[in-house]
Amino acid sequence: MAITAARPAPVRRRRLPGQRAAYAYIAPFFLVFGAFSVYPWLDTAWVSLHDVSLSTYDQQTWVGLGNYRNLFTNEFFYNALRNTITIGIISTVPQLCLALGIAHLLNHSLRGRTFFRVALLMPYATSLAAATVIFVELFGYDYGLINWLVHDLAHLPRIDWQGNKWASQIAVSTIVTWRWTGYNALIYLAAMQTIDTSLYEAAVLDGSSRWQQFRYVTLPGLRPTILFTIVVSTIGASQLFGEPLLFDPTHQPNGGSSHQYQTLGLLMYQQGWAYDHLGLASATAWTMFVLILLAVGINSWLARRRERRDGRTSPLAVTPGASA
Amino acid sequence: MTATVRETASAVVVAPATNPATRSNRRRSSVGALRPSWVTYLLVSIVTLVSVLPLYYTIVMASHTNAEMAAKVPPLLPNGSLFTNLKAALKLAPLNQGLVNSVLVSSAVTVATVAFCTLGGFAFAKLRFRGSRALLAFCIATMMVPTQMGIIPLYMLMARLGLAGHLQSVILPTLVTAFGIFFMRQYLTGAIPDELIEAAYVDGAGSFRVFRSIVLPAARPAMAVLAMLTFLTTWNDFFWPIIALSSQNPTVQVSFQSLATGYAPQQSVIMAGTLYGVLPVLIVFTLLGKHIVGGIMQGAVKG
Amino acid sequence: MRTTVTRTIRAAAAGAIAASVLAACSSSGSTGNSSPAADSKAGPCGTTAKTTLTVGLFGTFGYKENGLYTAFQKACPNITIKEDDVEQSADYWTKLKTHLASGTGLDDVQGIEIGFVADVVANHSKQFVNFAKLSDSATLKSSFYDWKWQQASSADGTDTVGLGTDAGPEAICYRPDLLAKAGLPADPATLATKWKTWEDFIAFGKQYQAAAGKQAGSHFVDSAASIFSTAVYQGTEAYADAQGKADVANSDGVKTAWKYATDAATAGITAKLQQFSDPWNKAFSSGSFAALACPTWMMGYIQGQAGPAGSGHWNIAPVLPGGATNWGGSWLGVPTASKHQAAAVAFVKWATNATQQVTMWTAKAQGGHWPSNKLAAEQPGVRSATSAYFSNAPVGTLFGSIAASMKIPPIGLYDTPIQNAFTTELTNVETKGTKADSAFSSALDQIKQITG
Repeated sequence: MAITAARPAPVRRRRLPGQRAAYAYIAPFFLVFGAFSVYPWLDTAWVSLHDVSLSTYDQQTWVGLGNYRNLFTNEFFYNALRNTITIGIISTVPQLCLALGIAHLLNHSLRGRTFFRVALLMPYATSLAAATVIFVELFGYDYGLINWLVHDLAHLPRIDWQGNKWASQIAVSTIVTWRWTGYNALIYLAAMQTIDTSLYEAAVLDGSSRWQQFRYVTLPGLRPTILFTIVVSTIGASQLFGEPLLFDPTHQPNGGSSHQYQTLGLLMYQQGWAYDHLGLASATAWTMFVLILLAVGINSWLARRRERRDGRTSPLAVTPGASA
Repeated sequence: MTATVRETASAVVVAPATNPATRSNRRRSSVGALRPSWVTYLLVSIVTLVSVLPLYYTIVMASHTNAEMAAKVPPLLPNGSLFTNLKAALKLAPLNQGLVNSVLVSSAVTVATVAFCTLGGFAFAKLRFRGSRALLAFCIATMMVPTQMGIIPLYMLMARLGLAGHLQSVILPTLVTAFGIFFMRQYLTGAIPDELIEAAYVDGAGSFRVFRSIVLPAARPAMAVLAMLTFLTTWNDFFWPIIALSSQNPTVQVSFQSLATGYAPQQSVIMAGTLYGVLPVLIVFTLLGKHIVGGIMQGAVKG
Repeated sequence: MRTTVTRTIRAAAAGAIAASVLAACSSSGSTGNSSPAADSKAGPCGTTAKTTLTVGLFGTFGYKENGLYTAFQKACPNITIKEDDVEQSADYWTKLKTHLASGTGLDDVQGIEIGFVADVVANHSKQFVNFAKLSDSATLKSSFYDWKWQQASSADGTDTVGLGTDAGPEAICYRPDLLAKAGLPADPATLATKWKTWEDFIAFGKQYQAAAGKQAGSHFVDSAASIFSTAVYQGTEAYADAQGKADVANSDGVKTAWKYATDAATAGITAKLQQFSDPWNKAFSSGSFAALACPTWMMGYIQGQAGPAGSGHWNIAPVLPGGATNWGGSWLGVPTASKHQAAAVAFVKWATNATQQVTMWTAKAQGGHWPSNKLAAEQPGVRSATSAYFSNAPVGTLFGSIAASMKIPPIGLYDTPIQNAFTTELTNVETKGTKADSAFSSALDQIKQITG
């Protein structure tokens, strides 16, 4: 039988020859990163220890950890942190689940699949400004389509999609989900191409249902890619700022009139660009960096633990009857 | 909207399988493994509709004035003023120059990113070398740095290099991305069995030869996806180009800046311009989309 | 087609351009002797060499549309002008600051908005050509409104970073049809007597709100924010003290403006819309409100939003409750980094002189650019302008008399973000019923973030 793509990936890779070339292969990234990112990165760290505004960029006053102290005693920071986490969860989870489902659908031999695949990326291609105009209308209080469904059809009280904290976070998450689901679906789709079709055939011969095929053939084959999307989406969610910026009716970085959907990315933008406190904004940036590092660390630890647990069950992948 | 799609999506996976024998026969004859049912088409159509609707609405907005869009029953169809507004947009803003520059920038970035990231991803996925884990971790960590703060020092750097205002200033920083390396690494980890590469080495192939004859063909779907995503990200990049470039030498996003002039910018003209700027992307995608088709991998995996 | 000014004036103004180009050029050419580098030694155009000037602006100037570049190139054929635009003034300001910090990428001429002119004066005056030190600075200074010149100058008047383009004297724009429906007087002369103070204005609003015949769902005024943003500049202080230092606690402007704005909000006479948001834009055609505070440039904005269908539906009352003041306006400055300083200075002088400012006010595609050049504002062409769109309102005399009596409090570095903090909280008072006091303290919390 063919080598299974479902074979658990983290089996120790054997030492392959010709590996000195490896350094040459990864060199371009480190060169570009070294040339254009290291300096801005370090500069940001340095700036975070100073009182700096862009208007007086050459006069930087040393404040030590003052900006960090300011941040950690700042109610706006904790509000933004909470919002980032809740919006992150209610946008990332459905987004990745939907993306998996859609990728699975598109993995069928559809007529016109090129069209469907290109269409998937349209949300990412459509200008975010144009898209938010539509979502703002959909979520409008008096005349929005969604409140029409809620109020006129279901006879429930109208929902204030701007002012109400949870409603507004759901609305922002909907825009995020709309925008990034197709993006992730395409990534899954590419990975699905690597799954040997004979595995499905074998599964079908064993009498497994579609769900079982998806669960025991597709999912194990996608494991590295799923881990990838979780990491990238976590990072993306923690840096989220375009959607909440544009969902605010006046496009101010307030995240709503009571900061009810102000994310950390938006707070940093407000501190740095609207209020010109670059030192504080840089401190926020570095704090975000550490927080994301923690979040991604925890995430991949959980994923790896799951993987290890599932790894024990995955030999059953091609004989789903056993686990059913 | 979200909920509907998700519910129906789960509906399809529990759809009862028909006689397994006949199904697998049919499946073997098609390119992919799975044959779609009408439910699949229905769901995919709903997803497509939801994805495309805002773009369609952009066309509608591009052909109606703000006053018309504010009517009790807003218009649902585009009309002929689309072309008038497009002409007005082209007169106001250097859109064509922006398009040419954006094609240059996005193509250069896409080609470089796909090439370098496939190489780097291959190295991290399949070659073992001292420090590979740490280097990969470092690479991923760089993604976590919020980019907006780096913009001011980056501009200072570009100014010192004499590149501010030139297209190089928007091309160089994104020639290869951590995202791309990580993406290709994860894809190739699952896509190519180690045994296949080992076998090639046993046959006496050098590492670049292995890359060319085994990795490249296997990586094609992922390369196509990475190319699409990179092209689009670069195309829509706005925050950095607007600082680095001017209307004299704009990318398309920068050229949009000239659409809203006067105290009363016309929404319809802005939308028409925006629309004009999306067209080349659609063309590129249609060309690339074909490469993410099923079946490419089969030969390689079976070895 | 949008036409705000009568045809005859336009023709007269067009004819005047060529003549005054010559006049302006010859006067500046004959005086220059004790001149800094930027002064023109090479004739009226600053240079005789073939030169390309880049002009960096944000989306509100209208020079291209009104043919100013073409006219300048006719006067100075050796100079070509290229405009470099950024749509949002906030983005433009970020870009300008980055370029100033690095000393590169600056255009030969840079637009400066009222929102950041204080910052440019305080932090970047060394990087801009000092118009107070030009040989003809006395002549230049005397041609602008005093306050306009002062806002772009250091407190001691020794440094001036730019020359004024437009100003925004304010009146009240209203819908006569909506007022009439509500059975209220709708002619500008009567309204001018009824809207003298904000108390009167709010009382009138209550009458409107209570009227049986008023258009269903409509409100008297667009937002509490429009009252606040206007009234705050009627104080002796707005957001900054006389030294330009942010000062909200002791500001009489903030105190009274907050009272009027929250009174209006709690009286329910506002349409609860956020200014410059999408629903607000749409309300100009749907008739959700009957009146709003209206700087001259708002005339252009209303026409853009309400479209040709709105022509004749609007009028302007020759009054601003609480006394005349200004909202908005810009300057043109020349970075010392410019390689074509002399030509750039020549262009700035030309573009802001009386003739061009008359053109900007009277031109066909005009967006309500009221002259900040007082010589221009006094010209009969400007004064006799009427607006067909706004029911033939005599906008020239109307805004002219307001502009002549405006009270202008000092401006500070943080005016824009501070104002946003207040208007955002006013939205909470309007839409969520937040108590005025707690909204005010929330605004102060936010302002602490701004002033640091």
